[in-house]
Amino acid sequence: MLLSLRLAAFIGGLILSASALAVDVDAASYGYPLTNPFEATIATTPPALRPKLPDDDKIHQSDYSLKLRPERDFILPDNFWAVKKLTYRLAQQDHPAPLIFLISGTGARYDSAINEYLKKLYYQAGYHVVQLSSPTSFDFMSAASRFATPGISQEDAEDMYRVMQAVRAQQPKLPVTEYYLTGYSLGALDAAFVSKLDETRRSFNFKKVLLLNPPVNLYTSVTNLDKLVQTEVKGINNSTTFYELVLGKLTRYFQQKGYIDLNDALLYDFQQSKQHLTNEQMAMLIGTTFRFSAADIAFTSDLINRRGLITPPKYPISEGTSLTPMFKRALQCDFDCYLTEQVIPMWRARSDGGSLLQLIDQVSLYALKDYLHDSPKIAVMHNADDVILGPGDLGFLRSTFGDRLTVYPHGGHCGNLNYRVNADAMLEFFRG
Amino acid sequence: MAKSLLLIAALLCATPALADNSKAHTPVVHDADGFTEPLTKLKFNPGLDQREFERSTLNALSVYDPLESWNRRVYHFNYRFDEWVFLPAVDGYRYVTPTFLREGVSHFFSNLGDVSNLLNSLFQFKGKRALETTGRLLLNTTIGVAGLWDPATKMGLPRQTEDFGQTLGFYGVPGGAYLVLPFFGPSNLRDTGGLVFDFAAEAQINFLNVSQVSSDHPEIYLLEAIDKRYTTSFRYGQLNSPFEYEKVRYVYTEARKLQIAE
Repeated sequence: MLLSLRLAAFIGGLILSASALAVDVDAASYGYPLTNPFEATIATTPPALRPKLPDDDKIHQSDYSLKLRPERDFILPDNFWAVKKLTYRLAQQDHPAPLIFLISGTGARYDSAINEYLKKLYYQAGYHVVQLSSPTSFDFMSAASRFATPGISQEDAEDMYRVMQAVRAQQPKLPVTEYYLTGYSLGALDAAFVSKLDETRRSFNFKKVLLLNPPVNLYTSVTNLDKLVQTEVKGINNSTTFYELVLGKLTRYFQQKGYIDLNDALLYDFQQSKQHLTNEQMAMLIGTTFRFSAADIAFTSDLINRRGLITPPKYPISEGTSLTPMFKRALQCDFDCYLTEQVIPMWRARSDGGSLLQLIDQVSLYALKDYLHDSPKIAVMHNADDVILGPGDLGFLRSTFGDRLTVYPHGGHCGNLNYRVNADAMLEFFRG
Repeated sequence: MAKSLLLIAALLCATPALADNSKAHTPVVHDADGFTEPLTKLKFNPGLDQREFERSTLNALSVYDPLESWNRRVYHFNYRFDEWVFLPAVDGYRYVTPTFLREGVSHFFSNLGDVSNLLNSLFQFKGKRALETTGRLLLNTTIGVAGLWDPATKMGLPRQTEDFGQTLGFYGVPGGAYLVLPFFGPSNLRDTGGLVFDFAAEAQINFLNVSQVSSDHPEIYLLEAIDKRYTTSFRYGQLNSPFEYEKVRYVYTEARKLQIAE
């Protein structure tokens, strides 16, 4: 019974992929060593299998900042002084070259680990690279976002487009031949909406756009992520919290090893040791990092818009004020809570009401189906075991992108981006 | 091949009967579109209403910090100092010196630091570590030309830091109030005391005559400070959160506990 089901699924898969012609990389020839999606997401590729990249010292790069919303000087409290300007990083070549914009994932700044990696990869291949924060990032929300309530992809893309235009205006002497765009995770969804916007605004005329592990249905993705902290983790009890459990394992790992050595291979090595985390524990860890992002977003959005859900309106905040009480309230709010309490009310007020389903349709890739289907310049790379996807999402990508979709069998969420095979494919796409 | 497949299938069919509600071993059933549904591999809390994230995090926020208001001001002072003075200085340093020279400087100061590492390993009766650190000092000071080069690490003797704060912690002295020191960053009462002790010990031992020369040439301290910043990868704002202060405080506290335990 089971076998025949599998066979049916396999044949179904064959037929489907034959009609859509998506590139399905098979596991054997792919050779990615981490077949566990949670392990891949956390540890990413073992260092030996990563591409060779230049040191920071070899890259001609600087951080620049943009003042896009001067009124925020008066709205934001004193201890937000560092995010009243939006910072981005530019790595420039000394000759005319194409420029590629990189958009970070959920809650991540321009210098997130994946952005830094992508920068090195593309810089080495001869591109100017501009690294941008995600519209959900603390600094972007404070310094560049008009409504400071990220989640409405269309609005986020407009904010992002302005930032890109401001970047270009600030770098008039940079010899750019043409523009490219890429983003990972939520940044990939943003990139799709930015690309759509560019079709009418025509500031950049992006020649090629690459989406890395985008969410398809944004609501599915945030629901999945919220759910990750609900796994049953063994070893948690009244006297041991989850963090203490993980730290205890880490301590024992270092004790067995004999010394503390923090390096790229640490997580991979840790997972090979006796102290390794179970699937549930890893899921909880991934869920935890996203809950922190959700707390940051909920707090910042509430504060800037004076909604009074987390920070009481007119609460005096100076540099010495403890934000811990607000943090305690914000950490109770997951993505679903942020959506219900802040995004939907604002969206309803601005757009004459509408149901949750309508919102989901508007902010997910569904909204761009026809555009994505008919734009040969846009491609997607995704993983068959990505935790932010739900059933049917890959099917949507297959029917929308056809042979412009590449599905890797393993890698979890963005864990295989720094695998050599993926790096080659990412470079090849822009080269070809 | 077919046999083993059958065996696996039989095993898979058997598990639901044996297991509790664990889904950890259910077969990977591909969707028609190839999706492998990673979440089905996990065992979830049935009500989806556990508050473990909240509990852990609230618990982690209870660090003894009676001087919080003062600490936060110093934290912002350090952030500004870093952005306006320290990091530009590091950039300038990187601009005017070639890589091998910077590495030499880092190794030199790191070799000096090994004296205090050795001393504190001895204080804690960590024999193996003390021996290894002695080996490092001997190798790096001689073959490594006064520490400008680090052959010991290449020979399998990695650097193992120990400071007097750790020694105190080893003998059960609690951390005490959390403190943010101007320029130095996060610390606590115990580790601040440790810092003072290590500094005094370094001056007393006067290894390679550096302490004595530095008192006439304060620029050596400046170089040491810039090198320290150059080799420390932390950047303010890097955690990209309005609650960075709380997160740094927790990470510092736990990292020290880990260093002491190890």
